[in-house]
Amino acid sequence: MQKQTAINRPSSTYLKVIGAIVWKDLVAELRSRELLSAMLLFALLVILIFNFAIDLQPDLRITITAGVLWVTFAFAGTLGLNRSMAVEKDRGCLDGLLLAPVDRSAIYFGKALSNLAFMLIVAMIVLPIYSILYNINVLNPGLLLVVILGSTGYAAIGTLLSSMAIQTRTRDVLLPVLLFPVIVPVLLAAVKASGGFLQNLPVNEIWPWLNILIAYDVIFTAVAFMVFEFVVEE
Amino acid sequence: MIPYAVSIKYMLVGYTAIFLVMAIYMVSLFVRWRRFKRDLQTFKELENQP
Amino acid sequence: MKTQPKVLTFLTILSVVLFLGALGMVFLFAPIEAVMGYVQKIFYFHISNAWVGMLGFMVAAVSGIFYLVSKDLKWDIVELSAVEISLVFFLIAIVSGSIWAKPTWGTYWTWDARLTTAAILEMIYLAYLLLRQGIEDPERRARFSAVYTLIGVISVPITFLSIHIWQTIHPAVIGVGSSSSQGSFGMTPAMLITMFFCLTTFSVVFITLLWYRIRLGQLAEQVDQLKYKIMQ
Repeated sequence: MQKQTAINRPSSTYLKVIGAIVWKDLVAELRSRELLSAMLLFALLVILIFNFAIDLQPDLRITITAGVLWVTFAFAGTLGLNRSMAVEKDRGCLDGLLLAPVDRSAIYFGKALSNLAFMLIVAMIVLPIYSILYNINVLNPGLLLVVILGSTGYAAIGTLLSSMAIQTRTRDVLLPVLLFPVIVPVLLAAVKASGGFLQNLPVNEIWPWLNILIAYDVIFTAVAFMVFEFVVEE
Repeated sequence: MIPYAVSIKYMLVGYTAIFLVMAIYMVSLFVRWRRFKRDLQTFKELENQP
Repeated sequence: MKTQPKVLTFLTILSVVLFLGALGMVFLFAPIEAVMGYVQKIFYFHISNAWVGMLGFMVAAVSGIFYLVSKDLKWDIVELSAVEISLVFFLIAIVSGSIWAKPTWGTYWTWDARLTTAAILEMIYLAYLLLRQGIEDPERRARFSAVYTLIGVISVPITFLSIHIWQTIHPAVIGVGSSSSQGSFGMTPAMLITMFFCLTTFSVVFITLLWYRIRLGQLAEQVDQLKYKIMQ
């Protein structure tokens, strides 16, 4: 019966699974708030440390802000990715999801979207706080666009890699090791584009970076979509 | 123009480094080969024993 | 373990001969470069190793794809061997390049597109090995390694491109003899011949070493299987 439904209306079941996963993650997080509080606290601590590590004098700040923000997002993002997958694995949710009669990639999209959501929520809180603490207006629409594009790429590849890392012995330690070498284009382009928008550079100068971000997002979402099957098969 | 003495010195250091790394790797291949051969021998004996 | 096949013995001898020949070419045949002098001679081995390192990565990626399609673990051994050997060759390239750079550019390292990407590539190799270390099950290890190799091989060109764009917009500020002058020495025909000879030599050396490493991997697998059988 269930199989018939899947065959007759595959696309709606597919989307339903994605929606179900995202909803589950968001609702679970709303109740426990473990993930978001950990990511948020970590992000704020990183920004605090940056204050001491790099002398964020007013004239320097504009140039450094983009870098500081993205390093923060990258590290907090790792935390989020790790925990998000660990929860699935430890509570047996992953196995349950795998039994569903739907294409495995739906699980990937579901997790990736919820990871993206968490990253964006953290960003939405961190950005205003950064603005207040360092007296720079980072609530710039261009910057927000970059945050969305960058986080998408990060979540796309991060979800795939964390699915792998979570099944190894070395787990948490492994994810940053696997992720950071391959995420360089995203970080580079995001920092450059963010900096560009903050410094009000003309759009045609920022465009190459946005291009790289979009290309990366498309390419790696496609790659993850194709290989996710191999990462979760039993 | 890089002075002759400096140039030759760095060239020698460079080639030494190249040979050194290659040698270390080939030695490691050899050592691992021997270790596995020995392990294989041990396991074969264990297999025939009980 | 099967005894060494004749082709491999032949390749080994060929490798040694070519290697000695390459050394001879570099030190006896190739002329001395006008500006850099003797240190330029490092370039022949440096570029050959870099080339082989990148070639190896391609071999690894293709093996990974073959594994995912066929599920035959022999491709996993090929992939691992290719990565390990490329790691070593690329390390040699990076080290020799740095030593060459010091008298030429005044610094061991610059963050230009080529070197930065080289460092990242090396880190991907190391991450690959770390990934394998954390997985016991051979089948899962093979699957994950293949996926990571694929991800690596796709991300590296994008990485190079982005850093390159970054540099063209903001040229590297390094100092006297910056990286923009890399390889700006003109190569005379004798130098070109030497370079091609070295490239060929290292390609043969690569194939030979790869074969040896694959044999090592097969032996390791044999030992593992026997150990597993005994521990039952």
